[in-house]
Amino acid sequence: MRVAELLAERRENWRELEGVCVQLESRRQRRLGARAITRFAALYRGACADLALADAYQLPPNTVSYLHQLVGRAHNQLYRARSFQLSSWTHEMLVALPQRLYHDNCLRLAFVVFWGFFLATMFLSYVSPNFAASIWTQEGLNQMEEMHSQSISGKGLNAGSMSVGFYVQHNTSIGLQCFAFGLLLGVGGLLITISNGILLGSVFGYMATTSVRDNFFQFVTAHGPFELTAIVICSAAGMRLGFAIVDTKGLTRYDSLRLATREAMPTVVLGMILFFLAACIEGLISPSQLPYALKAAIAVASSAILVLYFVLHGNPQGNRLAT
Amino acid sequence: MAQPGRQLDTHFEMVTPENIAFQYRVAGPFQRLPAYLFDLMIQGVIIVGGFLLLVLAGSLASMPGGGIGAFLVFFFFVNWFYGGIFETLLNGQTPGKRILRLRVISVDGQPINALQAILRNLLRAVDLLPLYTYQLGLFSAILTERFQRLGDVACGTMVIVEEPQYRYGVARIVEPEVLALVAAIPPNFSVSRTLGVALSSYVLRRPSIPWSRRVQIARHVGEPLREQFGLPPTTNVDHLLCAVYQRAFFGETEAAAGTNPFAVAAPHARQAAAGMPAPAAVFVPEPAAAAVVATHLAGTSPASPSEQGP
Repeated sequence: MRVAELLAERRENWRELEGVCVQLESRRQRRLGARAITRFAALYRGACADLALADAYQLPPNTVSYLHQLVGRAHNQLYRARSFQLSSWTHEMLVALPQRLYHDNCLRLAFVVFWGFFLATMFLSYVSPNFAASIWTQEGLNQMEEMHSQSISGKGLNAGSMSVGFYVQHNTSIGLQCFAFGLLLGVGGLLITISNGILLGSVFGYMATTSVRDNFFQFVTAHGPFELTAIVICSAAGMRLGFAIVDTKGLTRYDSLRLATREAMPTVVLGMILFFLAACIEGLISPSQLPYALKAAIAVASSAILVLYFVLHGNPQGNRLAT
Repeated sequence: MAQPGRQLDTHFEMVTPENIAFQYRVAGPFQRLPAYLFDLMIQGVIIVGGFLLLVLAGSLASMPGGGIGAFLVFFFFVNWFYGGIFETLLNGQTPGKRILRLRVISVDGQPINALQAILRNLLRAVDLLPLYTYQLGLFSAILTERFQRLGDVACGTMVIVEEPQYRYGVARIVEPEVLALVAAIPPNFSVSRTLGVALSSYVLRRPSIPWSRRVQIARHVGEPLREQFGLPPTTNVDHLLCAVYQRAFFGETEAAAGTNPFAVAAPHARQAAAGMPAPAAVFVPEPAAAAVVATHLAGTSPASPSEQGP
């Protein structure tokens, strides 16, 4: 058969397939009837066969590249990725994720590293204020001291909502950065975790030595549990990526990283949710005039939620054995 | 899947479950940079617009603090999720990528899902190290064969160039000298595959090649053929190649009749759907217009998206 005749025969099919692709690519009319889907699949297979035999048919190069593009386009529509499903994500976040995190060595490491450096620098700064000054500079410390010098008088809803926005923006960005830097073989994430631990720990230690400590601790009580846990979780998610490159568990480094990335996403989402909750508490409740007992109750409640999530949800078998 | 040793240029071959290999062209870092700059500009506009709107709304509601707070949250989302959200909604494209005809797909050829889209943009924070200069991303793109930055590597995605191919088909030759030559080709002469590809490449590009240059190019194949066919040395090799092409792709009868209706093919369906005028025909539909082809083409082909452009 001559090429011209062949093209004449196939042209209608190709055009039809192209039309269906255009239709599928526009979001509005994605749904096709059963018959149209069968037709689409048949047309796609036809185009595949034409491409496969292009060489034997001696199709001209421009036709071959047209076919490459057509087949690629149809392929993308036929093998669509699964779309977002709320129920599977709920299951992931509430059942699968805590179980995974409960056994996650990265989370343990991030936890130990962050709190280790936090407590160590807190102790050192408490013992010698010079230590905190060497980290923050004396001016920075004075500024922070001044910020908390007045007893908490309560902001209005107006100023409060502004600080919620600020904390969401600022703290969650730090968390996401912690996560992203973990990709640098885990070392980047480790360094950021350590630096966060040191910065926060030294402030806590220093503030405890000053006259404003009551104000300070009253301020940080309510949002502390969520915020500090969120940092640890984000760092752990990042380290999971980084360490997956190093310890591949028999996979290629590339596949190991891809697998870890897929698993890390829910963890990051969890970290972001905690940051958002912490920001709301930090902006609205922490600076308010509510009695300290209530703020402490919030801290206890949020800690309880975290324990419940990580331990009870995380280790259902263990609980069953215990009861 | 990928066949690392066999990759010659940026075309990347992919094998479908139907066992068909088709090609994508991956986009290099410097092809992606303009798209990124466009996106930065659009992000800037969105952020400024959001600032004005939210702060205005805040002060109208006599809560200026709330307005600023809402803006900060808005800023956070635009900053971290602009790419992720657009790539999810536009099937792998941000507005900047759409302008430059780039698309993110996963390395196995499927469209990316929301998870990949969002994560690859979150991990941008590493790629732009140190200090927004994108050195790490560039480094990673150089080291990986699909020009992936670190975020792409982690999510298994790559950025491809979408080359819309509007035309396909065979060139139609209407010059009487050529048609006369077709009869001179021995009937038992068959065109090999490689010769077929060479011929169609030549004939399809021929209209954009100047007369004098055509002979120079056609000589390499044309002169041996001329000797083989026993034609006089005065025969124009350019015409000879066209004649062989005509024989191979149309057959003798059609060549004589000159009535092949499938000289050129379809304008892109989307273009037709959008109501845009079809690009000017590259090949002449009527024999009478033959002489005009060359000049006409030289004027239109740069604008036409077909491969036959100079």
